Amino acid sequence: MKRFATIVTLAALVLLAVFLLYPLALVLDASIRIDGTGGLTLGNYAAIVKSRYYLGSIGNSLLCAALATTFACAIGIPLAFCLARIDIPGRALLLTLATLPLVLPSFVSAYALVLLFGHAGVVTTALRGIGIPIGSIYGLPGIVIVFTLTLYPYVVMPVLAGFRAVDASMEEAARNLGGSRPYVIRTVLLPIVMPAILAGGLLVFIEALENFGVPAVLAEDRPFLAVDIFKLFAGESDANPAAAGALSVLLIACTALALLVQRHYLGKRRFSTSARSAPAKLPLTPGLRLVATIVSWGIVIVSLLPFAAVLMVSFLRFRGPVLTWELGLGNYATLLSGSYRPLLNTLTLASIAAVATMLIGAPIGYVVARHRSRLSGLLDFVGMVPFAVSGTILAIGLIIAFNSGPVILTGGWLILVIAYVVRKLPFAIRSSSAIVHQLDPSLEEASINLGVSPAKTFATLTVPLMASGLVGGLVLVWITAASELSATIVLYASGWVTTTVVMYHAIEGTGAGLAAAAAAVLILVTAIPLLLINRRTGKQETTVI
Amino acid sequence: MTTIRIENLTRSFGAVRAVDDISLDIRHGELFTLLGPSGCGKTTLLRMIAGFVDVESGSISFDDRRIDSLPAHRRDTGMVFQNYAIFPNHTVAENVAYGLKARKVPAAEIGARVEKALERVRLVGYGQRSPHQLSGGQLQRVAIARALVIEPAVLLFDEPLSNLDAQLRTEMRIEVRQLQQALGLTAIYVTHDQEEALAISDRIAVLRHGRVEQVDTPERIYRLPQTAFVAEFLGSTNMVPGIAGAFDGNNTVVAAAGTEFTVRGEIAAPGVPVLLSLRPEALRLGNDSTGPLVQARLALREFLGPVQRLHATLPDGTQIRIAALGGQVFDVSPGAPLALTYDPAQIKAFPAP
Repeated sequence: MKRFATIVTLAALVLLAVFLLYPLALVLDASIRIDGTGGLTLGNYAAIVKSRYYLGSIGNSLLCAALATTFACAIGIPLAFCLARIDIPGRALLLTLATLPLVLPSFVSAYALVLLFGHAGVVTTALRGIGIPIGSIYGLPGIVIVFTLTLYPYVVMPVLAGFRAVDASMEEAARNLGGSRPYVIRTVLLPIVMPAILAGGLLVFIEALENFGVPAVLAEDRPFLAVDIFKLFAGESDANPAAAGALSVLLIACTALALLVQRHYLGKRRFSTSARSAPAKLPLTPGLRLVATIVSWGIVIVSLLPFAAVLMVSFLRFRGPVLTWELGLGNYATLLSGSYRPLLNTLTLASIAAVATMLIGAPIGYVVARHRSRLSGLLDFVGMVPFAVSGTILAIGLIIAFNSGPVILTGGWLILVIAYVVRKLPFAIRSSSAIVHQLDPSLEEASINLGVSPAKTFATLTVPLMASGLVGGLVLVWITAASELSATIVLYASGWVTTTVVMYHAIEGTGAGLAAAAAAVLILVTAIPLLLINRRTGKQETTVI
Repeated sequence: MTTIRIENLTRSFGAVRAVDDISLDIRHGELFTLLGPSGCGKTTLLRMIAGFVDVESGSISFDDRRIDSLPAHRRDTGMVFQNYAIFPNHTVAENVAYGLKARKVPAAEIGARVEKALERVRLVGYGQRSPHQLSGGQLQRVAIARALVIEPAVLLFDEPLSNLDAQLRTEMRIEVRQLQQALGLTAIYVTHDQEEALAISDRIAVLRHGRVEQVDTPERIYRLPQTAFVAEFLGSTNMVPGIAGAFDGNNTVVAAAGTEFTVRGEIAAPGVPVLLSLRPEALRLGNDSTGPLVQARLALREFLGPVQRLHATLPDGTQIRIAALGGQVFDVSPGAPLALTYDPAQIKAFPAP
């Protein structure tokens, strides 16, 4: 049993060392070298500190992430409370819809905002037509809105679970001791769900800090960290890999710090509240219940509206960048007339990456959950590093690492798959170790006791028992790989253009109709599998996310 | 038929010695019970024999074969788990056949042996059912069949009945005992339930803090406990501290609880503090004057049907329990004096801690 765990752990550590730690080390190395000569220097960092532009970039990114986190909590916590404790009509459907923004590509939502409120947006032109000027949504306001509307489910899911895990007797005890309802909420409920709020909030913060697609669409020329790193590394005019490295290191430092704060805080505060009876729904007056219903449904509908808008717009005709009200499939014709390759690439790469991620992640998740040792603790930690590393930075590291030398991977499909696998690995590890935690360890011991070796027990007993959960994880990895932009945009080569790349270039250029069609395809490609597993696995899906 | 020899076995978790230098010899076909409170090391010891916990030092041998460095799946033990550990993705028959398949038994033979094993545990006709269609007692029978069918060198039971309700527990323990005797298998049985241990064991080892307190037959371990811990853990005895007095060549007088007790043998030098174990059933009501008398007062009577339990107060206020048959007519009201008599041979004395 120990040998099996050791083999898996060592193999996983080697894999992560080669495809994660080594590329990251090269990024760090690039940040302390003089561009061209290769001498050691801290000049790149000094240049950033002296540059108002880059300081502004860091400031904008941090401010934007902080605002998005605040707003996501502000709408996520009440929504979670309503879902947990108020009898809202259509609660089950609402819950499913509320998870959707997490897996739909967020830059599509950003693009929807451009289509509606941009320079040539539908709403902008309409309002201008009747003489009402509208403020610009480019830059901070738009980006914060999109992050809030696409990331708030990160807060809803754990907080909802937290509210549900409070045993009814806990609240009843507090009421019995003389606490009024608001007093009980403040002194019992909120402290218990606080760790969940923090966990969700920090996920929003990190995701908002790292995200490349949304600022790429909405920042225009305003400085944003994730976009600047990409431009400095891959830009045609002002490439400066050393500065890109330095900014990358700073971004990783910010996200790693946030992760460490979260781990430290959560480590001290783990309330094991195994609820035997879920708390009862709150008795509300019809008026209050109506308000709760409107607010809850309102939040979810508004967050999904951009995606619906993109779907509709994709069926309208564009005249240059200007939208007309004529129906037509012209956008799709343009998208597919070039080539089917991008769509095919997206489907192929996502499929390979999803299978590979789960094949690698499931044994790691198993070992991390079952065999606590110093080595598996190290693996658990290294396995979470990709959380703190944005796709762009990982991609830059992979390019530096595998652009020359004995192994050359750049220009092919494998490097894209590697990037997807490494980025989605924490998710695969977490979801499979969560499933393993629910499996009684004595099942495996019984199998071993009856004469089946540990490795064979894992393959023939544990994996089948994990299967339904693993399928959910597989589909979610597939979805997120299919809509991946931040690493793809750095790594893709001419033969391996994906739908996301097509859309990105269409937005950058003038192909507004093409972008809308590509966005619509991405929505369908991600939403259909999600709805399929939702039907299949029912309530498991929320735990998978 | 297997003998098990455990020599100087030790295992620590951090600073805690879960198993501390334990040596035991278990005979052919014996049902040997490891008994003790939670945290005494009994489950760790069992899991060391099964191969799920590594041996730090010492050895375990089946017959004369050392097995403590073999991987768990090659030790040929059949373990019955506390929570049954029935594979939920297999039918009952597949669960029972699991170990036979691992041993590459021919398919034709497997069917017959599974059928026979299910018959033994009275589950004929349940082979094609899914585990979730079975009750807790039935699941435990499947677990026993699964462990028996491979004809292991040793059967291991890890608190197998603790998840069942009280009545089923007393029924199942008889089934376990009968199966073990019919098959003549050597078995190690872990439990914290002293009644269960007394009921089915050939011999019992009482464990405490990772060490063996006493190994003996159920009757000897109950009647002749060697330590105060064993006396207290088996049966709810009354422990009364006292001071040894003079030895009259036959009995020793002990001053305790504001009165005097007579104990058989020279238990300690005069003036030495001792602990007396007064079994509730060793104290009898009335003045039949066959033995020494103790004066007490009745505090409370619990009528339990077949028996009644009396709570009495000794002269210095110490409370003791006395067991009497339920049929015994009793007309003493609380607060009234109560005369108790006993056989000095039934009182055990231990050195005071």
